[in-house]
Amino acid sequence: MSKILVIAEHRRNDLRPVSLELIGAANGLKKSADDKVLVAVIGSQADAFVPALSVNGVDELVVVKGPSADFDPDVFEASVSALIAAHNPAVVLLPHSVDSLGYASSLASKAGYGFATDVYIVEYQGDELVATRGGYNQKVNVEVDFPGKSTVVLTIRPSVFKPLDGAGSPAVSHMDAPSVQSRSQNKDYVEVGGGNDIDITTVDFIMSIGRGIGEETNVEQFRELADEAGATLCCSRPIADAGWLPKSRQVGQSGKVVGSCKLYVAMGISGSIQHMAGMKHVPTIIAVNTDPGASIFTIAKYGIVADIFDIEEELKAQLAA
Amino acid sequence: MMFGSADALVQLAIKSRDPYVAAAVHELATGITKLELEALICGTRRTALAIARWEHTPASVLTALAGVHDEAIELRLDKNPGTSSSVLSGLYEEARSKDKAGLTKLIAQHLNSGTEVLRRIALHANDSECLLALSKNPAANAKVLAELSERASGSDIAVAIHKNIAQNASASAELLTRIFDASDVYTQAAILGHANCLAWLIAKAAASEEVLMMRVLARNRRVSKESLQRYAACEDAGVRAGVAANALTPVALFRHLIKDKSELVRREVASRVDLSEEHIEALSRDDDIWVRQRIARSPTTSLDVLYRLAVDAVADVRRAVARNSMSTVHLLNMLAEDKNAWVRSGVAYQANASQRILMKLADDKDVDVLSGVANNPNTPQSILKELVSSNEADVRRGVILNKSAARNTLLPLLEDPYYLHRVLLVHNPHLQAQDKWSLRDDPDFQVRFSVYRWAANICLKMPDTFLVTK
Repeated sequence: MSKILVIAEHRRNDLRPVSLELIGAANGLKKSADDKVLVAVIGSQADAFVPALSVNGVDELVVVKGPSADFDPDVFEASVSALIAAHNPAVVLLPHSVDSLGYASSLASKAGYGFATDVYIVEYQGDELVATRGGYNQKVNVEVDFPGKSTVVLTIRPSVFKPLDGAGSPAVSHMDAPSVQSRSQNKDYVEVGGGNDIDITTVDFIMSIGRGIGEETNVEQFRELADEAGATLCCSRPIADAGWLPKSRQVGQSGKVVGSCKLYVAMGISGSIQHMAGMKHVPTIIAVNTDPGASIFTIAKYGIVADIFDIEEELKAQLAA
Repeated sequence: MMFGSADALVQLAIKSRDPYVAAAVHELATGITKLELEALICGTRRTALAIARWEHTPASVLTALAGVHDEAIELRLDKNPGTSSSVLSGLYEEARSKDKAGLTKLIAQHLNSGTEVLRRIALHANDSECLLALSKNPAANAKVLAELSERASGSDIAVAIHKNIAQNASASAELLTRIFDASDVYTQAAILGHANCLAWLIAKAAASEEVLMMRVLARNRRVSKESLQRYAACEDAGVRAGVAANALTPVALFRHLIKDKSELVRREVASRVDLSEEHIEALSRDDDIWVRQRIARSPTTSLDVLYRLAVDAVADVRRAVARNSMSTVHLLNMLAEDKNAWVRSGVAYQANASQRILMKLADDKDVDVLSGVANNPNTPQSILKELVSSNEADVRRGVILNKSAARNTLLPLLEDPYYLHRVLLVHNPHLQAQDKWSLRDDPDFQVRFSVYRWAANICLKMPDTFLVTK
């Protein structure tokens, strides 16, 4: 029997969806019915997450009572280290997030565990664990194996694995976080770059505009359309540089990678390499452009060679009907 | 030390052993030096492939790469928007002789493809994908499209071809009229929206009850006032919105449409620039955010109404006032203190924002506000110099894009860590030649290419001019 340990992640009293995705990934790694998936949640209010984590696929839930409700890298590193010592898991799955960046590498390095970050495929090939991550700026898939490592720590890319359906009734146990001297202190919570705006890295439906919209006064009609269609309006760099949409809405190398997006409608975006770096992974891309040779069509699942204003007008009429 | 002449620049490029630098100056070279540059560009197959695909590669280099006769390179040349008509013509001959339908399709849709090549594709290509791609290409003239239509008639793809032709700007009035009757309602609607559609066809179609056609015709400036009157009473909101957007719609119809049950229609009315004070007043109190937003943005809205909308509960409406070209300094000063950063950002980007307002906004912490201040030509140089050292790349880029940023302000940015910023500086008119030339050995290939391309363009425009060698 081997164990797979999942570390749940929460922020400002909300469980992050990636925690449930990791449970899905962990269940995919079970080699036999005897294998167990353990989920640990760390924090002073960790008990509050027990109902949300009592889902199908969780065999045991460990509530680690920490000194603070907020994330602290030293507390998390010491807690996960103690959990590994207590349960001896073969695989430890952490979300690939700003939190795990703060302690995962240190945890693995100090104990000599196998380690890979930003993993989007993980599987057993025979008895050998193989993790796949991007290399050379996501241009190639790199398969990583861990010869001789009895424990492997992996940070998993969000929005890749599917959560399992249904409720569960895991055994719940408690432990106290080890006492450590914390080197950091939470002073304030600041939403990076977004202010009050939506975090475009977490949304699943994006409509994005580029130079093709021509003038600033045309932006609003696409905001209306995005609102009516239930999409989040984003943009390419020139639009944000002109101040037509907030910087927090900019997709691409200078902006953000829309990691959770499932449907991306590119309106009047030619598809520079810099823009595509932020969205080319999206499973369904619909591109609208008057130029049939536009680069965006090389990655689009559906392409419409047309004027974006004609499409916008017709979509609005269809939505109103 | 700077280069002295075109020959000196080419020699420097050869000495650099850099394929991108070689591509940048290729157009200047002749004879053996040109061959030396081409040897660098094609030094490895991987480099040649990358340069063949790169959107910034000069046309002369693409022409040279066509001579390599490598199928993978040819595929990239077919896709590259910079590939010239003559190269595409040669590639078409090759694709045709080897029966490569995929390559022919790329040539059929390429905007630089010549008329003769496109005509031959229309007459001889057998692959339906090629013919469909051709029917969408605006580079295909009226004659080519007519020949294509003739050839496609009766075939399985005739409907799809005619649908594309109906949206192709090159289609003639005669061809559009010919395919109208045999087309489905979608194609007919597209034909009615085409700039070359004949007036009598529009007049004839105006009686139609098809919603799709009415939506198109309601926006058409060639439709009669009687038809607009009928469309204004149509049950479909898209049709009524079309009437509201039509510049020829008589004022009398507005009274009815201002109170339309669909916000889609009221938004279109609010976008008009010929509204009376009475109409603006009514629409400025509409329940729909986007109706009020459009009124707040309109240059015809009075200051009284703008002041009221400047304290609207919705930030998007207040932001629209901040972006209104008629907003006064007093109004902008008020909005510069708005609690919402996106509203303050609207002020920061405003051409009417005074130096005093911009200095106040320079103390803001929000990246959009600071980017606006950095972008605004009214911002004092002293503030721009401070923003150059911002930790936010977006703010520093704002200074680079600022039309008033002086050379001394920009100089520290030559060492900016973001390569795109250094590329933008090569194109900045306020920097001197020596400043740009200092980036010639930049670690990023795009920056090096930009510097040498800039220098090559000077040589091409003024062949006898020697740049200062210091």
